[in-house]
Amino acid sequence: MTTTTESLLAAEAERAGVTRRAESRADAPVPAVRVRGLFKRYGDGTEANRGIDLDVRRGEVVSVLGPNGAGKTTFLRQLTTELRPTGGRVSVFGVDAVAEPLRTKRLMGITPQEAGLFESLTVREHLEFFARFKRLSKREARAAAHEVIAELGLVAETDKRVGALSGGQRRRILIGLALLGRPPLLVLDEPTTGLDPSSRRAVWGVLRRAVAGGATVILSTHYMEEAERLSDRVGIITQGRLIAFGTLDELLARLERSYRLSYRDPLDPRGDARARYCASFAEAQQHVAREMLSEYSIARASLEDVYFTLTGEPFDKDETEATL
Amino acid sequence: MTRAADISCVFRIHLARVRREAGPFLLAALVFPSAMYLFAVAVGGAEVAHDESRLRLLAGSVVFSLSLTSISWLGYLLLENRFTGRLKLFATLPLAPSSYVFGVLVFALAQAALGTTTLLLVGRALGVPLRPNVALLVLVVVLTILCLCGLGVIIASRARSFSEGSLLTDTLGAGLVLLAPVYYAPEMMPRALRVFAQLLPTTYAARAVQTTLAGGHDIGGELLALGLMAVATLALGFRLMKWRED
Repeated sequence: MTTTTESLLAAEAERAGVTRRAESRADAPVPAVRVRGLFKRYGDGTEANRGIDLDVRRGEVVSVLGPNGAGKTTFLRQLTTELRPTGGRVSVFGVDAVAEPLRTKRLMGITPQEAGLFESLTVREHLEFFARFKRLSKREARAAAHEVIAELGLVAETDKRVGALSGGQRRRILIGLALLGRPPLLVLDEPTTGLDPSSRRAVWGVLRRAVAGGATVILSTHYMEEAERLSDRVGIITQGRLIAFGTLDELLARLERSYRLSYRDPLDPRGDARARYCASFAEAQQHVAREMLSEYSIARASLEDVYFTLTGEPFDKDETEATL
Repeated sequence: MTRAADISCVFRIHLARVRREAGPFLLAALVFPSAMYLFAVAVGGAEVAHDESRLRLLAGSVVFSLSLTSISWLGYLLLENRFTGRLKLFATLPLAPSSYVFGVLVFALAQAALGTTTLLLVGRALGVPLRPNVALLVLVVVLTILCLCGLGVIIASRARSFSEGSLLTDTLGAGLVLLAPVYYAPEMMPRALRVFAQLLPTTYAARAVQTTLAGGHDIGGELLALGLMAVATLALGFRLMKWRED
């Protein structure tokens, strides 16, 4: 897989004749994705992205989180060249994604949030046909389809028509289409939404293997646990701005109060659990003693707490509970 | 080479799809245009006794078949791809929009070849005096398909909903045949409509098909008109068919 990733990048660099030169000049590898001042205003005046700057290093997994309507999908759609930015620049392995969308897409595997499949084709046919668009020979396309089918646990469905599959199985095919040809960059918009826990775990495994093979992954997700488990770095977008971007530790370090005390009010034992953020473990213990709490827990803050603190909105509880 | 492979792949995807829906497809491609010819002959009365009239009705049915193939069915296919999210799937690939359109267009040409051949066989079986100039007929059919497909692409790209688009393709598919001198002679049309019909590709297609079926070859004007209209509609269609939204 590494070989394929490197050869794809080399082929594109050769086509462009700039990437490698740029690398040697800067004496550092060109990032997988570089975004500068990305701005998107829709026709109705909505500013969905407002000046996003971001570098994604090669071989890392970046998750993008944010409330509904925050601008995550708009951001990803501009990366994948599906949406033209109003302003700013996007480059993928040094290729200008705005000026050269086709060349950019040769370096990417994309899973859109929603897309339709050809229901009368079988799973195998679907993957083989779409592998051919990625410049694979007939034999390579067959092998790639076979490999992806096995990886995504769809072997029993190989010769079934797509129309006969469940929503989760279709979702896995969409992920499989992105994996075909082992592109160096995967951009996945909520890839595991609608998958059952075991399928989701399988997809995580597939993505980890892709990264181990040299791929870079950018994904948006509604599952906090997915972001925590998979990502090297997490970006939080709200109201069109990237308000935080870093490793989990870096994001946690932004919290002044990084201990979470969860408790039930002794005067309202049947009420909802409450939370309070404390600067230290000792401060949390002091609060427990002062309020004479009997039902409580103290833990280091999590990504969910960072998200809540930075966005002012709780992460969707239903979606959080739906994780493994 | 790459582009040809992409076009072939788009074509094969749609062909594989039809393979599974062969019954309705064959019914639509083979039976409907033939039935239209028989219907036209039946309502034509004594007029149909003339060879020229029967030739016109057969040519009209060929044009009707081409119109259905390239506007109604192809438009429906493009609309379906767009509004069921399949177009988005193609848009994720390193595939030029024009390759996608050409792939679907080749599929329409295959349908047109099937429909036209069937009609000619039906015509011959029913005693229509045919002396087709095959090479010219193929050229006329290809130009007509390109021209009408361009209209299908324009509608499929601009429609705001599936129902709006399919209403437009159905209306245009039939309207272009009924408003042009396809099944009847131009002199039978009201004067205003006759002038308007000069703007419709089906007018030139019907004249050219009729001439070539009779073994004639004097269709330079018709070919030029169809060629210009094909360039215009396809250019606009390609311009509107974009992967990237603004």
